[in-house]
Amino acid sequence: MPPKSRPAAAPASSTPSKPATSSKTGGSMDAQDIVLGVWNNYQKITPQRVKLLDSFMGFLVVVAALQFFYCLLVGNFPFNAFLSGFSATVGQFVLTASLRIQTNPDNKKEFESTSPERAFADYVFGSLLLHFFCVNFIN
Amino acid sequence: MRWLLSLLLLTLFGAVQAISSAGQRLLVVLEEHSEKEKYSVFLGDLESRGYHVTVDSPKSESLSLFKHGERAYDHVILLPGKSKGLGPALTANALLDFMKKEGNILVALSSEHPTPTSVHTVLLELDIHIPSDKGALVVDHFNYDSNSAAEKHDVLLLPFPKQLRPDVKNYFAGEGVIAVPRAVGQTLGNESPLLAPILRAPSTAYSYSPKDEAEIVEEPFAVGGQLTLVSSMQAHNSARLTVVGSAEMLQNAWFAEKATLNGKAVKTANRDFIAKVTAWTFKETGVLKIGKLIHYLNEGISKKMNTSLTVPENNPKIYRIKNDVAFQVEISEYADSHLIPFVPASQDALQLEFSMLSPFHRLNLTPLSQTTNSTIFGVSFTTPDQHGIFNFRINYRRPFLTNIDEKRQVTVRHFAHNEWPRSWQISGAWVWIGGIWVTVAGWIAFVAVWLWSAPTEKSVKKTQ
Repeated sequence: MPPKSRPAAAPASSTPSKPATSSKTGGSMDAQDIVLGVWNNYQKITPQRVKLLDSFMGFLVVVAALQFFYCLLVGNFPFNAFLSGFSATVGQFVLTASLRIQTNPDNKKEFESTSPERAFADYVFGSLLLHFFCVNFIN
Repeated sequence: MRWLLSLLLLTLFGAVQAISSAGQRLLVVLEEHSEKEKYSVFLGDLESRGYHVTVDSPKSESLSLFKHGERAYDHVILLPGKSKGLGPALTANALLDFMKKEGNILVALSSEHPTPTSVHTVLLELDIHIPSDKGALVVDHFNYDSNSAAEKHDVLLLPFPKQLRPDVKNYFAGEGVIAVPRAVGQTLGNESPLLAPILRAPSTAYSYSPKDEAEIVEEPFAVGGQLTLVSSMQAHNSARLTVVGSAEMLQNAWFAEKATLNGKAVKTANRDFIAKVTAWTFKETGVLKIGKLIHYLNEGISKKMNTSLTVPENNPKIYRIKNDVAFQVEISEYADSHLIPFVPASQDALQLEFSMLSPFHRLNLTPLSQTTNSTIFGVSFTTPDQHGIFNFRINYRRPFLTNIDEKRQVTVRHFAHNEWPRSWQISGAWVWIGGIWVTVAGWIAFVAVWLWSAPTEKSVKKTQ
């Protein structure tokens, strides 16, 4: 979603003309401006549900990273436990990303046949399957 | 009346001193029947120990070690004679076949008589070497009998043999001196583990051929401890062969004779020694018998084993890897007429192998308890982390003891899927269990918020 919103944001702030004239210190200031602009645009344009999806995906990334660093630190002794714990977050991330693609209003044209409700139902079914497998695999 | 009869029978059986564990039929091969008198005490002793003695000449037509393809005798004594050939019944092959069928042989050599060709061949086959010169005998200038061999020094007076090694039982111990007159010394090959010396020559003895006229013996056949005067061979099937270097040792003349050793008057104890040698050769001593072999899953003290001999073995067929298993075996030793508990020599140990092709465990068995005629040895161990077909094996081969090689086969399987520890029992997995449930909880929260935040969708619907 953010990549798509960027072209829309760029002409509004009229930044393209500025980097050509500014010095290096001015460039870093501009980079900060760009990031801020992107963030503001994201806040303004992105629908609330997509924001919700993004925050959940962020949460999953954090949980996966924590488990991975624990594995690096302590070792992978019950390896099946590490695999199922880590792949639960990765799988959940992939499913959530799929839901985000299917329900994003910007992708409406590509998913004519799939309603957001149908996408959500698929997502719930897929997630339940994933949890079932992970809990079984960790024994 | 009946009890009186049974008592009589009991005393009759009791009168028999010893019964061999391998049978009573004994053949004594003696060329000159007239020489039988010389051995009368020796043969009388054997008869009193329960042997049915048959004395026959090698020239006899009817003599045969086999009858209908089976052994006709259980034991054979070959006494020296004048002729060098022993005839068609006692060829080297016949003697070896006799041993292959678990017959026992005692060979007596003499320096006065030639050694028969077939005996020579058999001894060479078994890696026992005797001097090729006729009349070669063992001489010792320090341990001789000054009564009968003051000049020639060829009658040796020796103490009873000591323990061969600290881990070998001694079946030939006794009190007194043994007279070894005009013996043919033997040397034993180094390669064969089946050979064991019973009576070694003292370090001052050497083999001497009277034909050599020279003052100094230049290349003696063997000297000192290399020479054995009585040696033994026990085959893999536990058939025994003993070579007695001097046939005169068996004769009445030396059984309890007055002799003088270094100025001291002594009495020879040949009768006692020869009784021990024949008892060993004819399997009255040093015979091991394996009893019940038991193994079971070791579940602590709750399960007790059944040592009763009347209950047959009922061992499990299958174990799992890393199981605790207990093993027990019952071993008896046949001594003179009955079974007694077997006690290994002080530095020896009975071992159990748990093997698949090669042993994964080789453990010392410790004596747990004794019954009236057996010792129960046991050990507990954990099965290795390797599944497959395993054997509980006892392979016990020692000099002077019959061989034991006993196996029981079991299957060792791997863990069943429900025998692994659950994830929460392993503390290292708690973080990842937490990871899963945090993911699930986060997902539930997300779904709830998703459903609750449905109204924003309406704006989209409106545009639709």
